[in-house]
Amino acid sequence: MKELFPPKQVLGFVFSIVLTVIALSVYFLDMSFELAMTILLITAFIQAAVQLVVFMHAGESKDKKSIYTTLYYGFFIALVTVFGTLLTLIWGYY
Amino acid sequence: MKVDHSLPLEYGTEQNRLNILGFWIFLGAEIALFGTLFASYFTLVDRTGSGPTGAEIFEITPVLIETILLLTSSFTIGLGIHAMRLGKAKAMITFFAITLLLGLGFLGVEIYDFIVYIHEGATLQTSGFTAILFLTLGTHGAHVTFGLFWGAFIILQVIKRGLTPETANKAFIFSLYWHFLDVVWIFIFSFVFLKGMM
Repeated sequence: MKELFPPKQVLGFVFSIVLTVIALSVYFLDMSFELAMTILLITAFIQAAVQLVVFMHAGESKDKKSIYTTLYYGFFIALVTVFGTLLTLIWGYY
Repeated sequence: MKVDHSLPLEYGTEQNRLNILGFWIFLGAEIALFGTLFASYFTLVDRTGSGPTGAEIFEITPVLIETILLLTSSFTIGLGIHAMRLGKAKAMITFFAITLLLGLGFLGVEIYDFIVYIHEGATLQTSGFTAILFLTLGTHGAHVTFGLFWGAFIILQVIKRGLTPETANKAFIFSLYWHFLDVVWIFIFSFVFLKGMM
């Protein structure tokens, strides 16, 4: 039975729960918008990394380089889309 | 077909390895897809017109339940793949079944949430905000729904054929998909719900 629960994945799960609880602090505690967004950005991206590396084994095969390249590229496109939109349409830098 | 036994079953053949790489590239495109949805969401989030705002309709309890369910399901499918690598088909099927049940629970709570929103006057047509809210959550929910069927067929195939390089490969790729849905949910949880409720 014990062999079915590898410590690495159990720890990954516990860590994800902890990050979720930290993220919840922005709801339960009184804080500024800037601080809250900083906390959420940090916890969300760390949690995403835990999923990708611990659970999805992104780095285990010899395609590691290609997999990380496609991931970084995907995140780059997403971030440019999101922050580019915010910059031009919401924050008014055009 | 040449099977390399030094590697986990799902990587055993050249074709298997390429299938997995191909799926990662697909996930890269999915990240971009959800990026466009988040960009639209942030643009329209304050365009509530005469409809309700996020703070008025969001509730922490169902959102928290959804988060725990999906997070746990992501953990159990990870255990399923671990069991698969130990060659324990029965344990793997059990973990996959638990995963799908948790996914079903998630979907149930999300549908309940949608019904509550609609009763509170937030429909797809109410405002720019509600339209992009339903589109973003709905795209994720549709992925989960699709995943439930996909996962069920994977389980059936493993029961019928046992663990072969093909079924192991399909199961592993499905696990990537499922973990990815949790990654997307983390961002929805943080930047749609928590941001909307603070």
